[in-house]
Amino acid sequence: MNIFDSIFDLSARAAERGLTAMGNTLGGVQKAVEKATGLASPELLKSAPLDGPPDIDAATAELGNRLLRVALRASRNPDDPKSASREALAAFRASFSYVDRKKPRSWIGLPFQLPLSFGTLMTQEGLRLLHAASALGPRRASSFLGYMVEPFADFHVYVSLQYQDEIRELRKRLEKNPNDAETRHTLGRTLTKCGLYKAGADELAIAAADPKVEIPARYDRSIALCRAGLYREAIEEGVAVLNLDPEHELARYWTFLAAQRLGGYPDSVPPESRMNMKVGYGKPTSVLEDVAAKIGLDKTSGGRGTAILDITGDGTLDVVIAAAHAGISVYRNNGDGTFTDASVGSGLDECVNGFVVTAGDYDNDGKVDLYVTRLGFYAGESALYRNNGNGTFTNVTKEAGIGCYGPGFTASWADYDNDGRLDLFVANNLGGLFDRKTPNRLFHNNGDGTFTERAAAAGLLTDTPTTGHAWGDYDNDGRLDLFLSSGNGRPQLFHNNGDGTFTDVSREAGIDEPCFGSVAFWMDYDNDGWLDLVQYVWSVQEDMLFTMQNGYGPPEGRPIRIYHNNRNGTFTLVNDELGISECWGTMSGNFGDMNNDGRQDLLLGNGSPQMERNEPAILLEAGEGGRYRNVTFAAGMPFEGKTHGVNFADLDGDGRISIILAHGGAYPGDLITTAVFRPKTLPGNFLNVRLVGTGKSNRDAIGARLSLEHEGKSQHLMVSGGSNFGCLPFEQHFGLGERTRAGTLKIRWPSGQVQEISNLPINETIRITEGRDGWEDVYEARKKNTKGSKGPRP
Amino acid sequence: MKLPAFSETAAPPPAVLGQPFGGELPDIFLPDLAGKPHRLSEVLPARRGALVVFWSGVCSHCVRYDEYLNRFEAAHPELALFVVASRMTETPADLALTVRERRLTFPILHDPGSANASAWFVQQTPRVFLLDSSRRLLYRGAIDNYKYPEDTEFQAYLEPAIAEFLEGRPVTRPETASFGCAIRSVYYTMPKP
Repeated sequence: MNIFDSIFDLSARAAERGLTAMGNTLGGVQKAVEKATGLASPELLKSAPLDGPPDIDAATAELGNRLLRVALRASRNPDDPKSASREALAAFRASFSYVDRKKPRSWIGLPFQLPLSFGTLMTQEGLRLLHAASALGPRRASSFLGYMVEPFADFHVYVSLQYQDEIRELRKRLEKNPNDAETRHTLGRTLTKCGLYKAGADELAIAAADPKVEIPARYDRSIALCRAGLYREAIEEGVAVLNLDPEHELARYWTFLAAQRLGGYPDSVPPESRMNMKVGYGKPTSVLEDVAAKIGLDKTSGGRGTAILDITGDGTLDVVIAAAHAGISVYRNNGDGTFTDASVGSGLDECVNGFVVTAGDYDNDGKVDLYVTRLGFYAGESALYRNNGNGTFTNVTKEAGIGCYGPGFTASWADYDNDGRLDLFVANNLGGLFDRKTPNRLFHNNGDGTFTERAAAAGLLTDTPTTGHAWGDYDNDGRLDLFLSSGNGRPQLFHNNGDGTFTDVSREAGIDEPCFGSVAFWMDYDNDGWLDLVQYVWSVQEDMLFTMQNGYGPPEGRPIRIYHNNRNGTFTLVNDELGISECWGTMSGNFGDMNNDGRQDLLLGNGSPQMERNEPAILLEAGEGGRYRNVTFAAGMPFEGKTHGVNFADLDGDGRISIILAHGGAYPGDLITTAVFRPKTLPGNFLNVRLVGTGKSNRDAIGARLSLEHEGKSQHLMVSGGSNFGCLPFEQHFGLGERTRAGTLKIRWPSGQVQEISNLPINETIRITEGRDGWEDVYEARKKNTKGSKGPRP
Repeated sequence: MKLPAFSETAAPPPAVLGQPFGGELPDIFLPDLAGKPHRLSEVLPARRGALVVFWSGVCSHCVRYDEYLNRFEAAHPELALFVVASRMTETPADLALTVRERRLTFPILHDPGSANASAWFVQQTPRVFLLDSSRRLLYRGAIDNYKYPEDTEFQAYLEPAIAEFLEGRPVTRPETASFGCAIRSVYYTMPKP
């Protein structure tokens, strides 16, 4: 950190403390006023407020969001101030629709409440700006803000698929003034967002005739053409942009993407318009192939969260994939690693706009249930689906008392109080630029099918938007601690006190530097028996381009973070030691041992809501000494993507881990097909282990720690209960490389019981039950059916 | 013009979830955008079967198939084509405007209240059903696995099923992926910003 950064950091911390204190004071006064005047304080919302914002704080936030949209429209149509005034008035009415003139109780406190409520909103916005400036540096923060305004202003229109009104209004304006190039440019972009690529490209071609918008219109046209599959035309347009502006790096990138579809640059592209991809060519251990179409998982949608679980208890792993604009797809494993779409009638197909799906058997009945958050960047109703055991699910949100309305980004199951029952944590992000922080939720499992919300009592409320989170016992005291990754703010580490409460130890642990954090997870990268922490971080597009063109991240960049556990409650950032410097728009990702060498590889799912942000998922393979190398393109993965649900699983028990990548974006036209990459050949021996808790521990053994020891070497894994866009299977995969003996497996169950098992097989998938000696062969029945064969082998 | 009652086609779903292959699908009795009623069971005797497509004018997946559906009846005169617009809040006026803007020539039936979509267990668009003249289900799912032009892994799903059916052979792959745009969503009814 240079001296300027240090001074900025100190000032930022002081400003942060000031804003937080101001917000707390205003909020305290507001509560006192509400109490004195007998007004109800805002309650936690459980379902969508169909009649509009229900209280003053929601109303002021809604007004901010609506006025932002009005301002954007007015800026595009400055000659019509009357429309803007009308829209502003309508925004005010809609935001305060809960105020009933006939009921004085609903408005009598407004003169006091309004300034206080706007005050708390402004302190929150101030904190967000400050954190963005800390994460990006003040210079880049303002351009970033402009970059993010559009998708936030667009979300409601596209979530509700009401974009036709938008298109018609733009067309109407063009009928009046056909030479309005800015409006035509907006229309072209809007059509592209809706999937009408060719129509969008046509409008953008007309707009580009006006020198005022020529460069942006041509650039957007190159994207529309590329999306339409008209790669040669896209390249021509990209080159035209670069002729006008030789430093338009995004045009260079899209020209590169279009050229890849043609197998390389056509001769017509001059050298100065080309891009050299300097990352992703580390030597891979395994060459991968996309088997999605072959195994029936090639779903094209705005791909969201994935979960891999055994839905029907037949021993095979099934796949569920959520979608931005439709229901959840259920893919049933046919027993051989191919899949049949069994969504219809599953109950999950009704669950539209799902964001993250997290699996856990909350009622310990042996059938894995699912919790689904919605939308993530926009408020939605999360839902709990109980598994009926026959391939169908029932929505039991209401009766379980687990409803949560908000921008639920991630959710996870964890037995934080070790009572043998899974509790649920929901991390709430930001739903609109002016939205208040929706409180995170900690739902404690009452053991009778119902839950009680305890986040505040547990000390887990935070001020900043929470994206990722991860449960893990970092100090090996037998209790799960919680890490929160903030989308715009300081990450936080909460130590589990063992009495149902948590203490924020972020500062002393050394992990509280602000960033645009996305998902996070605990994993033992150095296999020392102490969980290390990985926080994925979203970077701006210019840092991604720098990385691609230079082979390393920019000096001021914020790459993903790997924190080494110092075994004393503190952590050390070890990016340099591990060779991590590349910056990507990492919004999702996961980890797994792709090459069966006993080390955990990382997969970064990258992108952003904007149509122009199409970015490859990145595979970082762990090598000798723990250093990571980017092997993405050398391994056979593509240059394009927009990845949310990233999962690692051995889908057919043959020892080859598949990377499942659910692609796609928030705009309806941002459609990319799910990919499944798998090594072409078995890269080494393996052992898959599934655990069954028997009541003292939760049935799925979420939180259990496994260590496999052989000839002085150990591998350490943990059963996770989600927390990510990709809810990993409970099955734990040990890569054994060339070893022919697995060694001894030591399991520390969530109950605290420690169990040791020797004489383990290799290249098998086994099931171990808590407190019971030995193991069972999961795929035994399949082998019998195939006359003693060990199942499919590469 | 007062429309005929359509409640007879909007029976609650049977206890069995989804439709069994070979089983009889519910009849469809709906008006087109001009208000003229169409009944599936009335057109089927003159054809070998029908294609029923649940579709929406604002679905970003459906736009890929404008040309395909425009040409469908000419390509497959043996089959009736019922394109059903079931999306919540999408009115006949909205649909008529879309038809003009996108120059759609295939007939569209309006399914008010999404009753037919419910009866057919359809949650998203586009979703196609191929049935024989006795309304027995032969194929359901997607039209193809389109990703981008000239994709080497492109697979047509519906056309091979139609070809097999018309040749009198069983459909090899009767079920394919379900994805698309939701017919019902709480966001369709929330106040517009």
